[in-house]
Amino acid sequence: MDPLALQHYLAVGAILFGIGLIGFMSRRNLIVMFLCTELMFQGVAINLVAFGHFWGNFSGQAFTIFVLVIAAAEASLALGLVVLLFRQKNTLDADAWRELKG
Amino acid sequence: MLTTIFIYAAATAILNPLVVLVLCAFAGVATVLMLPGRKETSWAKVGGVVAMAVGLIFAALLVRYTATVSPDGMGIYFWVFSAIAIVSAVRVITHPRPVYAALYFVLTVLASSGLFILLWAEFMAAALVIIYAGAILVTYVFVIMLASQAAPDAATIAGQTDYDDVSRDPVVAAAIGFALMGVLLFVIFDKADGVNRPVKPPNLKVFVQDGSATPPLATYDGTTQQLGQYLFNDQMVNLELASLILTVSMVGAIVITRRRIVSTDFGDEFVETPEPETLHGPATPVNDNPHSIPVYGTKNPRVKAYPER
Repeated sequence: MDPLALQHYLAVGAILFGIGLIGFMSRRNLIVMFLCTELMFQGVAINLVAFGHFWGNFSGQAFTIFVLVIAAAEASLALGLVVLLFRQKNTLDADAWRELKG
Repeated sequence: MLTTIFIYAAATAILNPLVVLVLCAFAGVATVLMLPGRKETSWAKVGGVVAMAVGLIFAALLVRYTATVSPDGMGIYFWVFSAIAIVSAVRVITHPRPVYAALYFVLTVLASSGLFILLWAEFMAAALVIIYAGAILVTYVFVIMLASQAAPDAATIAGQTDYDDVSRDPVVAAAIGFALMGVLLFVIFDKADGVNRPVKPPNLKVFVQDGSATPPLATYDGTTQQLGQYLFNDQMVNLELASLILTVSMVGAIVITRRRIVSTDFGDEFVETPEPETLHGPATPVNDNPHSIPVYGTKNPRVKAYPER
């Protein structure tokens, strides 16, 4: 087996995804939570590009471009929502919206 | 226990999935200790030491594993870039200050763009740096600066707020996250040999033939042109949909963050409304006149005043 196989890159992507998941569940700052979703996007992008490289086509890179597009759209909308929420309660705590149950 | 793991790993000589699971458990404990909490800072130091030990063991195992096979000169860059990416990702989720978390995320983005270069995806590496580190992270930092202020009641030290200092359910989060990560790594290191079989590239002149050798640089002209041809030939509809999504999200962000729009009949008289925060009418321009959106606080709709609170 060659030194750098597909599973090395897949492992890095999985580790980044897991770290982002932990951060999304454990942090309470809304901005840091969305930053952790960007971390998960990073893991997925590494997976896609590695698959595209090792399978010899460009689908991975193309889908990474679309992941970037979705990340940009998500960042703009989510940060707008965060600013809106911050104006209402003057805090970035996600627990401030605890009454939104149901 | 660690010695038995070492002996076991040395006996198998390929990175054993059980070792990966054990290391994931240790790293989970370390991450719980490193997450910001109400505890003393010594626990964070203990967690950092444990995490560093786990990382060193993992790196030693991997280096030992790669030493058995013949290196091709690119392996060391992979280890360096992935180590930088993972360590700075851990710092993203463990740093109590959001601006520093964003800057560590920039480091993660740069390291993963290095990984993209190792995968012969130069355009994606450049796009990652430009879009992520250049555009999205600047937006994040701006929003952090807009929305962060020292909370007057819960400020502890140096303007730190309570919700940044104390994480929510770190044990549960780390357990779930590292369980997922352990399962993924187990599958990857145990069963991924089936997918590690590169097919012959259909439309590439110069590419990796068996996935192991690097392309000869003299005849290598980059993958950017081929990626562009693939995008604009085969993924045309998806590309247009992506641009549509970007436009819609831009308009949506503007509509979301716009405030204090109170429209009346918009005739000859402009009425002061009693409740400024409510949105009464349609917030769209009448007769394609962008000045026709009445704004609260002005008599003249052409004078757009956005009174701050």
